[in-house]
Amino acid sequence: MSEEKTYNKPLPEFRPETKPYWEAAKNHELVIPRSKTTGEYFFYPRALSPGEDMTDEIEWVKASGKAKVWTYAIHHMGPSKAYKGDPPYVVALVETEEGVKMMTNIVDIDPHEVTVGMEVEVVFDDVTDEVTLPKFKPVG
Amino acid sequence: MASKIPGTDEAREVLKKHKIVIAGVGETDQGKIPNKSSFHFLSEASKIAIQDAGIQKSDVDGLVTAFSLVEHTFMHCTTFADYFGMKPKFFSSVAVGGATAVWMAAEAAMAIASGQAEVVLCVRGDNTLSGISSSGMVALIREMCHAEFEFPYGLTTPGGYALAAQRYLHDFGATREHLAAVAVTMRKHAANKENAMNKEPLTIEDVINSRIIAEPLTKYDCSIISDGGAAFIVTTEAKAKELGIQNKLAYLWGMGQGYSHQYLTTLQDLDQIYNAINTSGQKAFQTAGISQKDVDIAFLYDCFTITVLLTLEGLGFVPKGEGGAFALEGRMEIGKDLPVNTHGGLLSQAHLGAMHHVVEAALQLRGDAGPRQVDDAEVAIVHGNGGIVSAHSTILLGKEPLS
Repeated sequence: MSEEKTYNKPLPEFRPETKPYWEAAKNHELVIPRSKTTGEYFFYPRALSPGEDMTDEIEWVKASGKAKVWTYAIHHMGPSKAYKGDPPYVVALVETEEGVKMMTNIVDIDPHEVTVGMEVEVVFDDVTDEVTLPKFKPVG
Repeated sequence: MASKIPGTDEAREVLKKHKIVIAGVGETDQGKIPNKSSFHFLSEASKIAIQDAGIQKSDVDGLVTAFSLVEHTFMHCTTFADYFGMKPKFFSSVAVGGATAVWMAAEAAMAIASGQAEVVLCVRGDNTLSGISSSGMVALIREMCHAEFEFPYGLTTPGGYALAAQRYLHDFGATREHLAAVAVTMRKHAANKENAMNKEPLTIEDVINSRIIAEPLTKYDCSIISDGGAAFIVTTEAKAKELGIQNKLAYLWGMGQGYSHQYLTTLQDLDQIYNAINTSGQKAFQTAGISQKDVDIAFLYDCFTITVLLTLEGLGFVPKGEGGAFALEGRMEIGKDLPVNTHGGLLSQAHLGAMHHVVEAALQLRGDAGPRQVDDAEVAIVHGNGGIVSAHSTILLGKEPLS
């Protein structure tokens, strides 16, 4: 919210149950929540497991950071003026090795080279002092 | 074949007993109409529908509204009741995105069947184009996507549908032409709809070569934004007779909902979407005791071209992945296999959720669709989807009472 930041795109407002994710991201670690009772990963983070167990016993597991592009959309216009100069950029849904999907940007590649099934790995974009957005780039 | 859904036999008995009908419809002008407020359009559409039914405002004892994208109110239905000057016995605001209009009809039916009201006005209106503009609509994604885990990545509303479209193209080897064909058919139909915004003919090439918004979608894959209002009046056959309503009646034969996801992040695969559409449709089909082959006309939510293909397939009119070929062969046109959105839909007529889809379905069954009239139209399906193909609702309407 502070005025002096040059980054003026939307930033996540942390909830208590999502804070561990963003704190890990700030330390350049990708973590995914998992139900302690069923061992099932889920994403996005919730206070209670969205499974039948409804447990609030959640553990955060360090992810491998490897994923595959499940689908993508090359954006030629952004949602607001803050994105001026960015398009074309890629918004994608990737499926991580742990089996959850995450929305992200695919970076370090010509948008038209992105394909469904492409192997990608996490990179960390420190967009502000407080917020790091996990993004993905092609492997290798 | 789908397995038997519990409750549909009971639902059929309820609908047979009450003979719930759409007895009046109304549409205002649609387009860029900068001098009218959201509540002005709601009022005007209500007045037209009441006059179409030939009843008095005081005959209306129930009200179902939705929401406004421009004029945010905490209690939309009662805010409008106050503005319009009515004291409904039953009131409700439905807010399930593009599934809203279809479910407004269902909500009115449930209210009537449970004795809450006898004559329910269902109305939407908004000055979306003048009030929030196209860029505002592009940014509307903020209301639908995850604020923390999706929105910071620059997703737009068309971008959300482009994600679904890209996966669809991948899974079925479908092409840009398949998507574009939907827009071409909608435009063809809009030519004969008096208040349609876009009537000039459109070709496949026009669609593909129009401005790229979010690949694989271009400008003409995206619905238009408009100002306007629409309304319909739900009552029973008996009450319609008592009130002396002269219109032919469109009878409610079945209804259903289906839920897939809210956030694309939690979507497993396209089957999850198909299953939600199918669940919604099957509930309606089984309640009516009919199947796809009995349907003469379809009104499918077309906020983007991709939703029509997913819906055609999910409802079981064509196998998965074959909606594109069906569209490309012109089989959704009036006079062909299954006329879809004979009024031009959200892609060419105007955008007010599925309100115009419901209105046009009733007009077709009444035989009042003028130059767009489909011969022997006896059964119509209307399907809405809210979110990014996430929340679904279906109604089936018949020209005759459910038997």
